[in-house]
Amino acid sequence: MKPRFDAGDRVRVLDLGKAGHVRTPFYVRHRVGTVMHRAGAFLNPEDLAVGRVCGPVVPLYRVGFAMVELWPDYAGDPADMLAIELYDHWLEADGLPSQSDGEAP
Amino acid sequence: MSADGHPYDHDHDHSQDHAHDHAHGHDAHEPLVIEDEAGNIEGQILVAALQALLVERNLVAPGEVRREIERIESPGVHLGAKIVARAWIDDDFRRRLLADGKSAVAELGIGVGEAQLIVVENDPATHNLVCCTLCSCYPRSILGQPPAWYISKAYRARAVREPRAVLKEFGLELPAGVQLVVHDSNADMRYLVLPQRPEGTDDLDEAALADLVTRDCMIGVAVLPAA
Amino acid sequence: MTRGYHDIGGAPAGEIPIVELPWLQWEKQVEAIRNLLGDGTRRMMSLDELRRGFESFGEDKYRSYSFYRRRLEAMVDILIEKEVFTRADYEAAVARARATWEPPPECAP
Repeated sequence: MKPRFDAGDRVRVLDLGKAGHVRTPFYVRHRVGTVMHRAGAFLNPEDLAVGRVCGPVVPLYRVGFAMVELWPDYAGDPADMLAIELYDHWLEADGLPSQSDGEAP
Repeated sequence: MSADGHPYDHDHDHSQDHAHDHAHGHDAHEPLVIEDEAGNIEGQILVAALQALLVERNLVAPGEVRREIERIESPGVHLGAKIVARAWIDDDFRRRLLADGKSAVAELGIGVGEAQLIVVENDPATHNLVCCTLCSCYPRSILGQPPAWYISKAYRARAVREPRAVLKEFGLELPAGVQLVVHDSNADMRYLVLPQRPEGTDDLDEAALADLVTRDCMIGVAVLPAA
Repeated sequence: MTRGYHDIGGAPAGEIPIVELPWLQWEKQVEAIRNLLGDGTRRMMSLDELRRGFESFGEDKYRSYSFYRRRLEAMVDILIEKEVFTRADYEAAVARARATWEPPPECAP
């Protein structure tokens, strides 16, 4: 699977509505951040959690979010950031109409 | 065995201040569940049972378990301190460390079991803090086991939400204008903070520098004071 | 949206319990066994499977068990799921281990 994003891209985190083991925390879903860098490609933990190891590997990114965009009442410095690792299929380019999300944030 | 795994009455050991001892009342806001003596005995019983079943089935050998315990006991703060001290005195190493942590620490004979090590550098304008909101991801192959507070509900919940308040609880208040970057280790990367080298340490050798480095400053809840 | 009970980033929480706890022998044994079962020769307990285990054994257990107890319980559940042993095998092994650790009360004279 080729990585769809690269450093500098603005991305929105999807909520795939998946049950089971996922590594995309609730608090970043629907949020928009910026890809810091590509972080390699790994077997999908959602599959590994049920013993599926056949792949394919999925590109992983480190994505940065402004704290003030994650939390409406963030009390720290406006420059404070959150950096987190997100898999390719959990992201869409920011600006495109949201297809997979069913609900407002 | 009773539903909560504690088959008989026991006294609660109230030796810890902040953390609430293991209570069978299942307080939803339990800051940290710590096993009391009965709970630890239960743990011993259950893991002994598990091991016996696995040994019976030739899935593990007792000697293997002992050796693995020794292996996981060996990393600790000293390995992280070695990395930090080398980065302070050797700028090329520092650059390699920031570019590819796993390969750089391998130069020091330190094997990283996790997928990748990302070293994040503090500087006068930036302070880094590491957490794992989903479970307890931590650079175990370098620093050993995480401290109890790192895996507590409060730290995991609040480090990404109000990190400056969290730092304050650890006695750290960042100067104005310093950007705080919080790293949630939620997937395959593991993180180590490279703290700033304290003032007044120019004449210290690598070993003496390593002695200054603490675990808490490599997680990001502390900074090193000036010498 | 689904949110696991373990997915607590941003949830309300109190003071951080800044304590240092010893790492006990049974806890090390839990980790060692997990590492061995997950190694290249066995591949029957990956970290993601372990996590799925404690993310799905129920919120009560998750909140009331200590960290290493959670991992132990999750491992047992996953191994039973994989038919390495049955729940009955496990209960029997626990009973045998308990008898070793907790001798029965002495009979009254």
